[in-house]
Amino acid sequence: MWFLLPVLGLIIGTYLGSNITFQLPPIYIKYMSIAVLASLDSVFGGIKAILEDTFDGTILLSGFFTNALLAALLAYLGDRLGVDLYYAAVFAFGIRIFQNLAAIRHHSLTKYRQRKARIRGERNG
Amino acid sequence: MDKARWHIPITVVLLCLGIMLSLQFQAQTRVASDLTFQRTETLIAMVRSLSEKRQKLALEITDLGNQLRSQMESSRDEKKLLESIYAEREKMRIVNGTTALKGPGLTITIEEHMPIIYTDLLNIINELWNAGAEAISLNEYRITSHSTISVAEDAYHEDGYSIFMTVNHEKLEYPIIIKTIGNPNNLEKGLTLPGGIMDNLALFNAYPEIEKVEALELPAIEKPTSYYFMKEYKPTEKDKEKTTKTTTPQEIINPLKNIAPR
Repeated sequence: MWFLLPVLGLIIGTYLGSNITFQLPPIYIKYMSIAVLASLDSVFGGIKAILEDTFDGTILLSGFFTNALLAALLAYLGDRLGVDLYYAAVFAFGIRIFQNLAAIRHHSLTKYRQRKARIRGERNG
Repeated sequence: MDKARWHIPITVVLLCLGIMLSLQFQAQTRVASDLTFQRTETLIAMVRSLSEKRQKLALEITDLGNQLRSQMESSRDEKKLLESIYAEREKMRIVNGTTALKGPGLTITIEEHMPIIYTDLLNIINELWNAGAEAISLNEYRITSHSTISVAEDAYHEDGYSIFMTVNHEKLEYPIIIKTIGNPNNLEKGLTLPGGIMDNLALFNAYPEIEKVEALELPAIEKPTSYYFMKEYKPTEKDKEKTTKTTTPQEIINPLKNIAPR
């Protein structure tokens, strides 16, 4: 049951976002996308940290917002400078997301196996 | 692992992520449907199809406009036709006497003491028709092509013998008032011309009272005549040929030719 609260948070957030009358101006869509990507990375990193038992709420929150903001700012700066930092950010966050996902999968699998082994051991013992 | 420690932050983070995701999703779908982000080829194709559509619709508009105009014209024609039919019907009703009428004309009053018989009435009415009367009524009976003016005998009268005049098989009560609509001057002249009907009646000491009236009211006939047997007959071409062949006009005109002096 412990995972229900975050899922509820996600659902409520999506609902709120879809019901908000505020519309993102078209020029900011690019930066918003990179910010979303950074946020996703943070979230997956947080989940990974939970599974590794190294979770810190302050780090997650600060990382979430600063990563998103910095990614957007970096992309904006790249646009100003004529360098496509946007793609660099996409690349970096993409790699990190996949790494995090892989780690999450890895950890959950090992935990599942451990638990199974423990149950089997209990049954046998 | 202390659950409360990671619970709240991840929920907050996911809440924010949800908002951002849906916002971004909406914006992206909006962009995808926005024309400024479309490719040139698709834009060209869209313009082409839309202009074709527009042309088609313009054609349809003109088509429908024509239809509307023709419909309106036909309805106007129908209206005209209907109006003329109504006018015709009104005329027919007036002629047939199925409507009460109003107009200038004469009244002719005949008192009981005047020695007048039904043929005099007939003469007066004929004279009125001749003088251009448009409608005539006798007491409260309209005179139409089906009216009858006659004489009848009252078998149950105290004196045993009494005749009275009838109009439309109804007893004509005194004073007899003939109302007629037409040009009052013409009608009066028609009646009072020297040697006319009034002079004739004066020989019998009958002096009907003639009065010009500005606005006369004539009643309608009580029951309109219905026709069962009459049918319109239009001679066809064949019939016409036959008649012209069988009776040559020469034979009809010429019998007197031999008698006439040369």
